[in-house]
Amino acid sequence: MVALALALLLGTVPGLSCTGRTEAGERFPTCFDPGTGWVLGTQLRVQDDAEALALRTGFLVRSARSSGSKADSLWFDSHRLLMTEAWGGERKGLTFTAYDGLLRRHVEEGSLLVTIGRPRRIPFPFDVALAARAAHLERRVWEGPGWTLETGRVGLLLDPLRTNTEGAWLAVGPAASHALRHAPDGTQNEVSPFTSLLLDAGWETRDGRWALRATGLAGWSFDFDGGSHFRARGEVALEHVVLAVNDAPVLVRLTATGIKNDAGLFRRDEGMLGAGLAVRPFGER
Amino acid sequence: MLVSAVTLGCALLLGQVEEPEASAEAPVEQAPEPPAEPEPWDFQMAVPTAASPRFPYDGVQIRCLALPPTPAVPSGQWRARCDDAKKECLVSPAQVLDSQGHETDQPLPRADWCVSRVMTPETTRQYRLVPAIAEAPPGWYRDERGRVLQYNFDLHRRVYVGGAWAPRWLRETDRLDERARVDFGVELEWPEKPDRLHRMTLLDTELYLGDAPSYDATLLRYDFRSQNNAPLFRVTTFYGRPRRFDVYANLGFWMEVLHGEQVRREDVHADFLNVAATHVTLDLWHSEDLVSYVRVRAGPSLERDRTNGFYTLVPAAVLEGDFTLDRDGFHHVRFGAEAQKVLLAESVEGRPLRPERLRLRAGYEFILLAINDQPVSVTLDGRGTWRDDVANAPAGWEWSAQAGLRFSLWAPARRSAPVSAPGKG
Repeated sequence: MVALALALLLGTVPGLSCTGRTEAGERFPTCFDPGTGWVLGTQLRVQDDAEALALRTGFLVRSARSSGSKADSLWFDSHRLLMTEAWGGERKGLTFTAYDGLLRRHVEEGSLLVTIGRPRRIPFPFDVALAARAAHLERRVWEGPGWTLETGRVGLLLDPLRTNTEGAWLAVGPAASHALRHAPDGTQNEVSPFTSLLLDAGWETRDGRWALRATGLAGWSFDFDGGSHFRARGEVALEHVVLAVNDAPVLVRLTATGIKNDAGLFRRDEGMLGAGLAVRPFGER
Repeated sequence: MLVSAVTLGCALLLGQVEEPEASAEAPVEQAPEPPAEPEPWDFQMAVPTAASPRFPYDGVQIRCLALPPTPAVPSGQWRARCDDAKKECLVSPAQVLDSQGHETDQPLPRADWCVSRVMTPETTRQYRLVPAIAEAPPGWYRDERGRVLQYNFDLHRRVYVGGAWAPRWLRETDRLDERARVDFGVELEWPEKPDRLHRMTLLDTELYLGDAPSYDATLLRYDFRSQNNAPLFRVTTFYGRPRRFDVYANLGFWMEVLHGEQVRREDVHADFLNVAATHVTLDLWHSEDLVSYVRVRAGPSLERDRTNGFYTLVPAAVLEGDFTLDRDGFHHVRFGAEAQKVLLAESVEGRPLRPERLRLRAGYEFILLAINDQPVSVTLDGRGTWRDDVANAPAGWEWSAQAGLRFSLWAPARRSAPVSAPGKG
């Protein structure tokens, strides 16, 4: 266990060589961390038969660390910073997220402590995770003046997979959020007090050359001035590293997104497909 | 006091009379014979022939040698490059010989100084003396008379002036202009390290005389290119065994300052002054010494349209090559294709808002002969230009075939010139 923890902390993969050698004997990395690096990519988006070219950038930081206060416990933290995506075409738009992170705590033997009466320990087959997002802005030029800003969102999630690696997780749980919808006729406050279900799942190969990630949110949000809305959205992204340039992985990224009652100022339904290329400097494992 | 003086005097007298006695007891020595006069050295050193060996140009000390006078070399002054281990010297006259093979008063040109008083006559007699042709610097050839001539020329270091027949054909109007070209300029080239080469051209000027007189002149053109041993890109592939492919990019820089051009099309003309242009260059190939290359370059320039009175921005992209085909620098091939787009121009009646230019050229220059070691070369050029930047002139191609002669001053031997004689490299 300790060896595994150390291996994870050092970013190495047991049993897998992550170094290649040239004929001249120089070494180069062959494993990559899909959750680390500076992402810079372009993508072709198809939405309602309208094509648009999108640019995407942001910073990814991922770490694995032993818990300082709990024994046999590992934290797998994944942070996405300043993620920005802008697209042109007839429906120009922009999304920006200042912070989006998933903090997952893995324990070797999960348990619940029941303190009623004699304290008892009950097996608990889940890891716990915290999903947090702050300052998510959506601006759609073609909709006219206005924007949507999710000031914050937090989800308390459970992970039944309980993997002890950073390459696979399935976190589901309730989420709370607050958002502003600013239109020329005023600004609307909207809150979801843990009335939404949040999904964050991912799977990666050990060498990090394939990565699949699915996120989803479904539930009710409530306006401050009354009224509730059911909305749902989901996104699946598949990434594959095709080559590396100067040890920075170059990847193909395929995405599919579906939104119900939540797109833009007017809570539209949307579906979108995307395919693009991205480079992720500093993304070696 | 008196007694002491008498005693000392007697002792001195007695001492003097004892010496003949001792001499009488010693054996009688023979009077030494005077040193034997060396026999006269009737050695007659032969002058070298065309088949004689040559001094290697390797920096070994050359010794001055005094030998008995001969009819060909009455001064007896020779130069020798000796191998002390073998007791052998290559020997050449210290002066140039005339056509009859007799010594003149002209010292050997472009030969190292010889060191005197190293070889005494007695020492010299112990060596085998071989007639030889004195050394010549790299790129130069010395004949059996001791004269030198340059056979290797660097045409990238020269001051040149030339002329050519340069007719021009305008395709759109099917007009043929009879023209002559006068050209001159200064070319410089210097290496910084083994992996970087600088090249500069000053006053590169072409004047066209005859029908439609015009000019094309550049005050300064400079570029450098380099050999980068570190890869610019390292591409790793993962299908099959992971492999890394290193992509090397030999980048450089090119610039031009004050390039003036006058264009004449029948009865209209246009004047352009390219104030400054800066390009990044990427060598697709270059020779080991960086002198020959194929490269692409691209970049912007600031241009003054002197006819219409405004500045424009002119981005350009060029594919060009420059080859020195032989070791001795006799054959040169150059080609280029350049595309330009004139941006930020003001509206001018009779021409598009954003004119374009496409220039093609290919040329061959070879050294025909050398006069006093200054090469005279033949230049053959083919040029084509498409442009629509001359107001009220039809857009289209103009073609020109040019043939002429060029006289080059300076043109030293190439840095890579061999030390061996021509034909032995």
